[in-house]
Amino acid sequence: MIEPVALKDFFITFFSAALIIMAGASYALLFAWSKVNTNPRIKIAAYFSYLVLLVAVVLLTKAANFSGYWLTLSGVMVVGYFFAPIGIWYLCVKTHAVSDTQQATLEDK
Amino acid sequence: MNETPLWASESFWKKTAIWVTAGSFLILVVLTFDSLSQTQAGGKRVPAYSVINKKIDYVYQKDLHKSMPVIGETELLFGKEYTEAEAEQLVMLGKKTTQAKNCMNCHTLLGNGAYYAPDLTKAYLDKGWVNKEMREDMMIKFLMDPEKNARTFGSNRKMPNLDITEQEAKGVVAFLKWMSSIDTNGFPYNFKTINAED
Amino acid sequence: MNAKELCEGSRANYANFITWVALDRSNLSAGRQLSVNYFIVAVILFFAQLLFGMIAATQFIFPNFLYDWLDFSVNRMVHINAMIVWMLYGFIGCVYWLLEEESGTDIVGLKLGKLAFWVLTGAVTIVVLVYLLIQTGAGKDSSLWLINEGREYIEAPRWADIGIVIVMLIFFYNVVATFSKGKWSGIAGVLTLDLVALAGLYVAGMFYMTNITHEQFWWWWVIHLWVEATWEVLVGVIMAWSLMKLLGVRRQIVTTWLYIEVALMFGSGILGLGHHYFWIGTPEYWLTIGGFFSALEPIPLVAMVVHAMYDAGSHSFKNSNHPAVAWIIAQAFGNFFGAGVWGFMHTLPQINMFTHGTQWSASHGHLAFFGAYATINIAFFYLAIQHWRGDVWMNSDTANAWRWKWALGLLNAGVVGMTVALLIAGYEQSFIERAVEGSTWGGYFSAQNHPSFQSAMVWRWFFGLMTFSGLILLIWDLLTIGKGETRKAQEIVEH
Repeated sequence: MIEPVALKDFFITFFSAALIIMAGASYALLFAWSKVNTNPRIKIAAYFSYLVLLVAVVLLTKAANFSGYWLTLSGVMVVGYFFAPIGIWYLCVKTHAVSDTQQATLEDK
Repeated sequence: MNETPLWASESFWKKTAIWVTAGSFLILVVLTFDSLSQTQAGGKRVPAYSVINKKIDYVYQKDLHKSMPVIGETELLFGKEYTEAEAEQLVMLGKKTTQAKNCMNCHTLLGNGAYYAPDLTKAYLDKGWVNKEMREDMMIKFLMDPEKNARTFGSNRKMPNLDITEQEAKGVVAFLKWMSSIDTNGFPYNFKTINAED
Repeated sequence: MNAKELCEGSRANYANFITWVALDRSNLSAGRQLSVNYFIVAVILFFAQLLFGMIAATQFIFPNFLYDWLDFSVNRMVHINAMIVWMLYGFIGCVYWLLEEESGTDIVGLKLGKLAFWVLTGAVTIVVLVYLLIQTGAGKDSSLWLINEGREYIEAPRWADIGIVIVMLIFFYNVVATFSKGKWSGIAGVLTLDLVALAGLYVAGMFYMTNITHEQFWWWWVIHLWVEATWEVLVGVIMAWSLMKLLGVRRQIVTTWLYIEVALMFGSGILGLGHHYFWIGTPEYWLTIGGFFSALEPIPLVAMVVHAMYDAGSHSFKNSNHPAVAWIIAQAFGNFFGAGVWGFMHTLPQINMFTHGTQWSASHGHLAFFGAYATINIAFFYLAIQHWRGDVWMNSDTANAWRWKWALGLLNAGVVGMTVALLIAGYEQSFIERAVEGSTWGGYFSAQNHPSFQSAMVWRWFFGLMTFSGLILLIWDLLTIGKGETRKAQEIVEH
């Protein structure tokens, strides 16, 4: 069951939903950047983005009257958007490494 | 870097892509069968076409946070009691008319379509038809000659004349009455019907 | 002037035009000559899309404009149909473009492919003429078979549906037979399976149903599963191939990542269909499913962000076609904001209850279709014209480079401007019409008459004009870029 957003919460709903996606992407971008550039400030900025995402999820959860099942969705967003960029980063490293080693063996032959 | 973890290999992702796609599609097919059977005309969510013989209302239910269609006692359309087959015939004529006249590229039906003209989901129940005694006559006249019977609500937008015949207009009204009885999970929200008292 | 003179005059004009353009088809393989035919029609339909969009936008401000001649419903239908069809033409062109190189052999059924092209183009012309001249029919089956089906996006009458399926089957045969004769690859495999789904889904939209809940159920199968699943994967295939050719990324990496993207896109997109089943009469569990998968749909976009950063950090890419790469970058941003941000803003049922069926959808639709699909097609137009000119130099310092840069700027700024204007209109509409006045007809018109809505429509018109002028500049640029260029394209080395 859902409880529709109250009129006064319209703006905060749109805003926090947009912020979740933008902060999520910004966290992903900065996280990946912190891996190729060791400047510690980038990593701090990445975690700051994630903090913004957390706040946005809390705002959306309240504005959209999440209860029951819908709270799981908030949880999935909090956990998923944190780990997805990390997982994808390692996937990038490993998939590219695979082809590097294969390339080397091909050249050896 | 010489280790090639399984989860980063091409073959692993090829298989994953296939399984994920097939799995999602299978779930969709199962849900499709369930949804189609739950929404057959004559079921709980989508009433039988003969519902056009009944009074239809749309009432807000506080505990559910949404409005629900309420089917009441007999309230004939055009003063005639239709059998299920006759009702289906009439609604079908109306539905085909709405398609052939391209209603959906100005109006929305169940919220889908274009945004140049008002939503038709609960149009039969709209307060704009003044009262229930005038409603049918107004609707027929409007559909058959929308220019002369224009309902612009202060905008300059007028529905064009689409050469709708009287029989087609009756079909459209029947179709709209039937559509207004569908359980749309509370869409549109906060809708006050022609039956509601101010 | 009589008909004969008119005929001769236009023939002479056409000959002059061909001399002026000075494009040499012998620079292209036979398969790619077919491909550019598709691109040419795509650009013409793109023009039609914007022209009829402008007329419809004008009618929002001046409702009497062309009233009873070309009503809003007709213009809007041509506007959205031209869009769907030009994008499909673009995709077919892209596939024919890469088919020979990817399979390592000539296209098997080239003659059949050419025939299919002319049949399809003829059918599209007839359909559009009937839309414009006959417009509507009586409420019976023959109207749905011959005039229009009255179902948004797939209005094409049933006879044309059947024609489209036949043409798609010929196209599909060409793809499969060519790969079978030459060689298969991961890209070829994904492409083939995706085309099966693309053609198969279309059939789901070819039946009349009185029960509108069932009708819209299947209608969304076609629209959603095309636009948010099979089209995305098709773009993934085209993009994967372009990354190899334009930036020299190694095949194995590209293939692995194509599989990853397919898993993410189909994994979130197929059941993401649920967000269209909130309010059409379908059971309540779709609220749960639709909400959940909508929250997942941005994940593939996040993956692309991370991957782009990885690549930027580990390689320094050179590319041989700057306009194409600029449009691919526009695709990344447009897709992220249009599909990701704009989509998620109004997709959860708690808020979609109020935004569904308002200008919100138009705002999202404009940015998402442009960002995700128009951009990639335009990138390919540039790739095609570069080869058509004889694989010439096409960088920022190419002659008259201001044209492609300004076309890029005007088109993007125009679409973003329209999106923002429609967003304001949609916000106001969901507020006044939906929340306050409860979606009655009176409420609808209070929202439409509101000054903020009216001025938003004026802004939309101006940004539409900006988009339109961007397109005209783009067409001029496509016709002239690389003309007289003697330098060969920059060499790309594999990374």
